[in-house]
Amino acid sequence: MIKTKTWIMIFAAMLLIFGAVSFWSFTRPSKGTVANIYVNGECVRSVDLSLVTESFEFTVETSAGTNVIQVEPGRIRVKEADCPDQVCVHAGWIADSANPVVCLPHRLVIRLEKNGKSADGPDAVSK
Amino acid sequence: MRKKIETKRITMDAVLTATALVIFIIELQFPEIIPIPGIKLGLANVITLVAMFRLGPADTLAILLGRILLGGMFSGRIISVLYSLAGGLLCYGVTLLLRKTVSESQIWVCGVLGAIAHNVGQILTAVALTRTPELFGYFPILVVSGILTGAFTGGIAAFTVKKTKKLWE
Repeated sequence: MIKTKTWIMIFAAMLLIFGAVSFWSFTRPSKGTVANIYVNGECVRSVDLSLVTESFEFTVETSAGTNVIQVEPGRIRVKEADCPDQVCVHAGWIADSANPVVCLPHRLVIRLEKNGKSADGPDAVSK
Repeated sequence: MRKKIETKRITMDAVLTATALVIFIIELQFPEIIPIPGIKLGLANVITLVAMFRLGPADTLAILLGRILLGGMFSGRIISVLYSLAGGLLCYGVTLLLRKTVSESQIWVCGVLGAIAHNVGQILTAVALTRTPELFGYFPILVVSGILTGAFTGGIAAFTVKKTKKLWE
């Protein structure tokens, strides 16, 4: 039987360590400025945020539902979604975060990377 | 005599499944104040813990699976069932292993380690479904939230187990 005091010490140490690591994880910068939007692990669209001069919106349809994605110069967010938990909408804008925006119910992920991963390449200029 | 015990057991299982289901559905109505996927209180785990320490592993598994499947149906979030199953079963496994290691006043420890295991299960599912290994970036913050929420729900479970002693005899 492990003493209650020992358990508390273990968890306090874990809180400190993982708290520090999460701080690092949330503040570390992204590798690039290209926002790749993935559905089911496949990149459906790429936008180079550094080339965006005017804001625009587009809709991504997945088999589970739709997400309206809004792009502004240098940043991107999920503006609306018909998923039940709305975590992706509440996540707000990302501009230089290495942590992706996710909509788990729709299996949609927005990741900031160095290069465009969609078949057409980054399309900030054309749209 | 044996028949009477069986009836009581089935009734207990049913009541606890219903209670867990109601807690689960009510918690879904809470606003998502923290915009990080996977962070929630997990109040329904109170019932899992109470069942594990008062009824045993088999009944607990039945209650857990009943709650997850019915919860998915009642809330209309069928996609979430996969996440709940992965998290719930890992949490169940950890609680089962710890059952003999902790005393009744240490049930909150099961709450903490169970919550961490639950979050690990959900991340693994999310990584597999979205094929995005970057989601492991959420692992540290989910350990932190698991410790805090697990201690809270585990504390409630320890209190409930203590206060309802007479109910199970």
